[in-house]
Amino acid sequence: MNCHEAMPLLAAYSDGELDPVQSAAIEKHVLGCADCAVRRDELASLRSRIRSEVPYYKAPPALHARVKAALARAPDTLPPARPARDRWHWLTAGALAGSAATVFAWFVGSAILDWQVGTDLVAETVANHARATLGNRLIDIASSDRHTVKPWLSARLDYSPPVQDFSADGLPLAGGRLDYLDGHPVATLVYRYREHTIDVFVRPVTGGKPASSPATATLRGFNVVHATGAGMEWWGVSDVSADVLQSLVARLARGPE
Amino acid sequence: MSARADRTRFEEVVLPQLHAAYNLARWLTRNGHDAEDVVQEACERALKYFDAFRGGDAKAWFLTIVRHACYDWLKRNRPSEIAPGDGSEAIENAADPAMLNPEQAMLRDASSSALAEAIAELPVGYREVLILRELEELPYKDIARVVDIPIGTVMSRLARARALLQRSPLLHAIRDRSAGAER
Repeated sequence: MNCHEAMPLLAAYSDGELDPVQSAAIEKHVLGCADCAVRRDELASLRSRIRSEVPYYKAPPALHARVKAALARAPDTLPPARPARDRWHWLTAGALAGSAATVFAWFVGSAILDWQVGTDLVAETVANHARATLGNRLIDIASSDRHTVKPWLSARLDYSPPVQDFSADGLPLAGGRLDYLDGHPVATLVYRYREHTIDVFVRPVTGGKPASSPATATLRGFNVVHATGAGMEWWGVSDVSADVLQSLVARLARGPE
Repeated sequence: MSARADRTRFEEVVLPQLHAAYNLARWLTRNGHDAEDVVQEACERALKYFDAFRGGDAKAWFLTIVRHACYDWLKRNRPSEIAPGDGSEAIENAADPAMLNPEQAMLRDASSSALAEAIAELPVGYREVLILRELEELPYKDIARVVDIPIGTVMSRLARARALLQRSPLLHAIRDRSAGAER
């Protein structure tokens, strides 16, 4: 290792973020390099000064009591779902096509509900989607540029989900979000279709599952489409019609064109 | 789970993090009274979204909410602090204690060390990563999660924060003064 390689790693070394092999390489280099040794000592001295001279502000006892009192007054945690009326206003607005699509999706859904995956995952994707659209955390990284969304997600996950934008077809990528599925962080792509929001959860295929064409279900009024392809498992959830959702998930599962 | 059991579990998860929450809020708002308000608000938010917490690292989860509450507070009360920019001017133009009038100088000396003062002068984007790293001792990946930036950005902001501190006139004034005293 030379200075050029060692210098940028010195901070990570002093923060204990390097693996043992890298740490040993740094230590070996610093022994024979005065410049890097000075830099390392500066970092160490700044740290020890911060630890000894800078206050760690502990919560005053009164705050503890105040928080407990506030929690006792606060309403309970958000209910998992609000009355259906709120979510279906577009339907009551005369969207006959929407209800027809729901009936269609229900048909298809009941026919194919023996997915290789449990229906509890369907429920979880719907709960995730509902929570995200009701709460204020729909999008963590807002961008229609897949070259922005993909690295943002990859940096937070141990896999890199393929990301595509379909603006040209009226399905623009709106951004990405980290969510949880099946107890693990999962990449979530957010698309818009007219007034609707579509969440697509993406995770690597497990257990060598073959590519499968989209299967559809409906839960609490949301359509859910599942497919595998491009090495990933895809779950689309939305209140858009099942055919729009199916075509989106099918295109994603085919992989980049 | 009943609402009551939920509430009990919430207290078990969140209340042990109250010191960390207050410390972060105190450094971001730079004021004890406001930090208390912000932490209380963060607790209420955390309770509301507790069903989104699936176990795992409670500290990083809760500090993420505390940080959001701090930023909302800053937006309302000190919007100029969260304006974009790398903030190097702010720190380099920080007042040299030698230039202050005696009353101001005494206030500074009495309230905190020069180093604490220099950290408080750091732009908020650098201050938060430094506090999370040096005082909370969070690993990079947790800082990335709390601040919602990639790990590479955590590293570059930490490097910048440290460089700004090492160049801060507040520190140099002290160093020069003590060097003078030894002579």
